[in-house]
Amino acid sequence: MQVVKNILLIIVTFWFAILLFMPKIDIYYTLENELSKQGIEINEKSIGEGVFSLLLEEVDVYVQGIKVVRVDEVNIFTLLFYSSLNIDAIKIDDSLKSFIPGTVDNVVVSHSIVSPFKVYINIIGSFGLADGTIDLTNNIVRLNFEDSEKLNSIKKELKKDEKGWYYEKSF
Amino acid sequence: MKKDGIMKSPFKLEFFRNFIVILIIFILAKLIWVVVDTLWLSSYGVEHKEETSGKGLYYRVKLSTNEVPPPPPPKAKPKKVVKIAGSIRDIKLKAIYSSEETTVVTIEYKRKTKILGLGDVVNGFTLTGGGNSYAIFVKDFKNYRVDLDESKKSKKIYDSIKFSDHKQNSIEKKTISPSVNGEIVDAGDHKIIDKSLIDYYTKDIESIYKNIGIRDLKKDNKINGFMITFVRRGTPFAKLGLKRGDILKAINGHQLNSYKAAFDAYKNASNMSNVTLVIERKKVEMELEYEVN
Repeated sequence: MQVVKNILLIIVTFWFAILLFMPKIDIYYTLENELSKQGIEINEKSIGEGVFSLLLEEVDVYVQGIKVVRVDEVNIFTLLFYSSLNIDAIKIDDSLKSFIPGTVDNVVVSHSIVSPFKVYINIIGSFGLADGTIDLTNNIVRLNFEDSEKLNSIKKELKKDEKGWYYEKSF
Repeated sequence: MKKDGIMKSPFKLEFFRNFIVILIIFILAKLIWVVVDTLWLSSYGVEHKEETSGKGLYYRVKLSTNEVPPPPPPKAKPKKVVKIAGSIRDIKLKAIYSSEETTVVTIEYKRKTKILGLGDVVNGFTLTGGGNSYAIFVKDFKNYRVDLDESKKSKKIYDSIKFSDHKQNSIEKKTISPSVNGEIVDAGDHKIIDKSLIDYYTKDIESIYKNIGIRDLKKDNKINGFMITFVRRGTPFAKLGLKRGDILKAINGHQLNSYKAAFDAYKNASNMSNVTLVIERKKVEMELEYEVN
């Protein structure tokens, strides 16, 4: 019993040490560099590191040099076996408002080791609520929208089935 | 304190051992990350830089010809505008182009279509000016306002006047998108675009895609212009003089060599008063000039 206890203690300590010393900012910068190769640039005004999290403030996202959105706050949280990305106040650039209808107030993207090939998404926006998944095995994103009057502005982008309005895209 | 003759140390060996184990684990974790960081991770992010073309402000200068311009007709100071009165009813306004310098109208009078410039007289009424959707005539020191023919408006038909050197020569009527207002006038060496058209298309991107197809043209993985894949007949885009296969190379001196350059042109379109479009047609580079009014 003592041996099991010791092994568990070592695992927990190692897990904590890995999280504690994880170079979160450098990992983020590496991700930034990889995205820039795809034409996506992320610029943030400030970046802060916690034991389990990384906080970005006033984040501008550029696609092919075109400013697409500004996000007030992005909080990346990880326990390794569970990770989440919390994005607050996504403001679409004025020049793109004719392209992208509606606004997004909050997006939560989460991943758990329990279902390693699925990423869960929850969105709150001017169109109401939406939730969905990213299926990493079939490379499909599906978002299910709550039917309401608010949804009218984006209905032309959606499809409908027995479960209601949804958006689906493969990648 | 003695037990079995051995002195017990006040320092707990087990605690010390655990501390060493934890320390080793921490050092190991740190070492792993140092190796990973050194080998694979980047210490610098990407800073977005705004592309600047280094070009100055764009001006289009039209040098005057040797021709003496006709004296401007006296602009009647509006005293009193009488809407549709007397025999002015016989004049139906079909189309109008009006700017600070000139006004050209297409009217229907006694079932005949006529094109009038400032100072021209029809049925005793002299054309003296106009606005976006009306013309002002003067007769016996009275002003008469004639609005665009409502019946034509309801049929969503817009007239396009073609003229050169202040003399008009042809009229063509095309049915276009119901919500599109404004017209494109051919002024010989350049075309005049109604600003309302630009405002409409900058607000509704989908209506652009319905009428014109544009795709990027890459050379050595770099954008080398944008090719027109189709232009719908009768649309303002066709009237601009664009044809299938044309390659858009530059706009107002700015090379269209990135999505951003193209998007900036689209974004600033409503602020442009003059547009010079450099296109490549059948391997020949040419300029198309437009004035926005």
